[in-house]
Amino acid sequence: MSGESSVRLSGVEKRFGELVAVRSLDLDIAAGEFFSIIGPSGCGKTTTLRMIAGFERPTRGTVEIAGREVTGLPPYRRPVNTVFQSYALFPHLDVFENVAFGLREAHVPRAELRRRAAAAIGLARLGGRERARPSQLSGGQQQRVALARALVNRPEVLLLDEPLGALDLKLRKEMQGQLKDLQREVGITFVYVTHDQEEAFSMSDRVAVMDHGQLEQVGRPEDVYRRPMTPFVASFVGLANQLAGRITGPAPGGRYQVDLDHLGRRRAHGPPGLAAGTPVSVVVRPEDLRLTPAADTQAGPAAATVVDAAFLGAHRTVRLDAGALGQLVAIGQGQSAVAPDDKVVLSWADDDAWAVPAAAEDEAAENGAAEGEAR
Amino acid sequence: MQAATAIRGREADRGQAVGRRRLTGHLLVVPTAVWTLAFFLVPLALITVFSFGTENLVTFNVDFGWTVSNYAAFGSALYVSTLLRSLALSLGTTAACALLGFPLAFFISRQAPRTQRVLLACVIVPFWTSFLVRTYSWVNLLQTDGPIDRLAFGITGHHLEILYSPASIAVGMTYSYLPLMVLPIYVALERISPDLYAAAADLGARPWRQFRRVVFPLARPGLIAGIIIVGVPAMGEYVIPEILGGGKTLMVGNIIVGQYLDVGDYPFGSALAVSLMVILMAMLFALRRVQPAVEAR
Amino acid sequence: MRLRAHPVAGALALAVVGFLWVPILAVAVNSINQNSLMISWGGATAHWYARALDDPNVRSGLTTTIEIALGSTLLSLVIAVSGALWWRRASARARAVYDATVYARIILPEVVFATALFFLFLKTHFPLGVAAIIIGHSVWNSAYAAVIIQARLVGLDPAIEEAAADLGATPWRAFRRVTFAALLPAIIAGGLLTFTFSFDDVVTSYFLGGNSATPLPLVLFGMIRFRITPEINAIGVMVMLFTVTLMGVAVAVFALAGSAGRGRRAALAEFYGR
Repeated sequence: MSGESSVRLSGVEKRFGELVAVRSLDLDIAAGEFFSIIGPSGCGKTTTLRMIAGFERPTRGTVEIAGREVTGLPPYRRPVNTVFQSYALFPHLDVFENVAFGLREAHVPRAELRRRAAAAIGLARLGGRERARPSQLSGGQQQRVALARALVNRPEVLLLDEPLGALDLKLRKEMQGQLKDLQREVGITFVYVTHDQEEAFSMSDRVAVMDHGQLEQVGRPEDVYRRPMTPFVASFVGLANQLAGRITGPAPGGRYQVDLDHLGRRRAHGPPGLAAGTPVSVVVRPEDLRLTPAADTQAGPAAATVVDAAFLGAHRTVRLDAGALGQLVAIGQGQSAVAPDDKVVLSWADDDAWAVPAAAEDEAAENGAAEGEAR
Repeated sequence: MQAATAIRGREADRGQAVGRRRLTGHLLVVPTAVWTLAFFLVPLALITVFSFGTENLVTFNVDFGWTVSNYAAFGSALYVSTLLRSLALSLGTTAACALLGFPLAFFISRQAPRTQRVLLACVIVPFWTSFLVRTYSWVNLLQTDGPIDRLAFGITGHHLEILYSPASIAVGMTYSYLPLMVLPIYVALERISPDLYAAAADLGARPWRQFRRVVFPLARPGLIAGIIIVGVPAMGEYVIPEILGGGKTLMVGNIIVGQYLDVGDYPFGSALAVSLMVILMAMLFALRRVQPAVEAR
Repeated sequence: MRLRAHPVAGALALAVVGFLWVPILAVAVNSINQNSLMISWGGATAHWYARALDDPNVRSGLTTTIEIALGSTLLSLVIAVSGALWWRRASARARAVYDATVYARIILPEVVFATALFFLFLKTHFPLGVAAIIIGHSVWNSAYAAVIIQARLVGLDPAIEEAAADLGATPWRAFRRVTFAALLPAIIAGGLLTFTFSFDDVVTSYFLGGNSATPLPLVLFGMIRFRITPEINAIGVMVMLFTVTLMGVAVAVFALAGSAGRGRRAALAEFYGR
């Protein structure tokens, strides 16, 4: 992964009449990166991708690809290719002609065209099916044709718009691994859009989280997961138990002293520069939440009742009713002992707690309410 | 024990019901079959047989001599020229409809859904009006000193002697058949997903290339359906050449009607009708080979 | 991709649409033109409408036409609906034959039908007139109705009749309450379409009307051939308004009933008595 920029969006905004689909976005994607944009439906991730591809023109701001400004250029002039969610294979052309389409448009000489198309088809493991029509192929095969058709043109950047959405779970997982390997092998920048956080995490070097047209956070998957910057990111990227409280002051090791509602003083990590008095949401991931069976006499603020314990093969998911603390989730093998209606005591290590500024709390509540209404 | 009997009883009932349903199922085709046979196939067979007979035009006695004299008479200049003229007019009308109709259908298919509906209504509603009256309107529009002629005179200083010539028939036919060409093309175009346009652009194709390599090939079945729906009936058109040809320019349809209702030479008229049918079937066959599957219903 | 409007195609498109409407507007304008030669504008008048409405030929033509159109529509719908229902359970080969005859009845020029039927009636001594015309119209009208009804039927889920049977409905009740109800909009639309076609027909009526039946189009046709007067335009405008209204109703009925899916759901809802 070299340091040079592959895709740069500066102050990009997109309006559709009254609707603001993307708000002032700044994004810098490095060359050779596997970069994902994730977020709920309607967050603007697809619009952003389309602006990189050239299907939408930003209302404001600029788009640069490999250092060159392309904001005004139509898609057929950009060194970018797209794999569509619907694959968009040409139904009247066979596999070979589909894959060779871009090469023909670029007037690649015949011998080279054949060679490159054949290579791409081979890479997609579709050798022998060159004369098949898209309608004769399975979903997975169609997906690979779409991929080959895009890659054969050696674009600077490959854009993928939820390409695995139509596949069943097993095939999806398989394709995710293959895409990751492919990207490493080919070495070009991949920009991948999906609403599936796990999928993005499994393949990406970096992830961008968007919500309501706004870029919430960009970073490596582990950073985004362990150190979310907003309550939205915390809850979107995996399950999160969020406990409300206030910063009371700093604590050793770069941590904070937090006064949690109902639970009293605890320590937690957090982003630098949080002042005393800042309302925060302390995030404890389900896998970090520990349950110990409670003796009947041990009530107390950290007590909870098991609502449901589901066995999911690799681990157990336990849903808890923690009274004033709300509905919480715990995941892990150690939870095997619990059953519905059991009483447990919750605990976690201080190192596993992360304080997210809830200054956006009202906004988050508004957003939550608005989303609820929109649905 | 009772339950078992009850079950067997019900199964027997169902068996009977299925049998009854099968019979009713077959009965359902009777109206169509009877009508198609009695009033479509049999009459056509009848005139085919009759076309091989001769008729004495004085006594109106028909003699089934199994002669091909009626067909031989086609060699006469009048009929050959009429046939060729009909072919030419049909071809010309089809071409004009295609040239005018395709851009229209394309334009409509690229608009927002609500605009599409309005434009389609504008195209279809004229079709719902009396085509007799619309054709007749062209007499007024095309006549010497009519509005179009006056416009032409103003521009070029010459009168358009267009009425009652083949050209006026062509105009009338193009006008009447245009919606029939637009609709199947529109349906085919509308089915093309916008993603395909985007994919073509993404792969380097400018708008004209997108059209040539993706849109037109996918719209072709619609175009061919339109060519069939226009070209085939146009050959046998009667009313339009009658009104806009004014008795001076004739098509095959006019001659057939003339033979039947004016002259009374039924065998000859039959021969003409049969030949027309054969020519059209041939055209249809040729066109269907170019487009193997009729548009799925 | 947000495409910009296509300037060339757009200009041509609008010109063509204009082309389609000019003759209609000309007819309408001339129907109130005092200048009986219609060469230039002579001032507005309702005189021609009065003449048309008073003309006994026109009135008898109208009654004859309505008789014929109603008869032909009824006949065509019976043929089309029964045929479509049979088609559902028919073998592939039988279907192919049926489809071919429907297609042939739509494509072949009317002149061919008309001469063949004329001939049949001549030889069987069947009297020419209203009945003959009704038969003649329904040969091709039933094909148009069949296409519309068939399209609708194909869109229906066959499982709905099974669902009805599962819930205790006899085949007849299942048909009536579920299939027929869903089919009704197509039947209405098809019926209105065939009515309009009959209303407007010239060739078949010309051959099969004999001396006794002169439907309105033939009255018009005669007038057109022998004299040019704005009265024709007045009749024309009235006929046009009538047929456009009919077709408008047909489209509305079809659209209101919604897609096959909605029709199916509505039928099921009705069946559950909700």
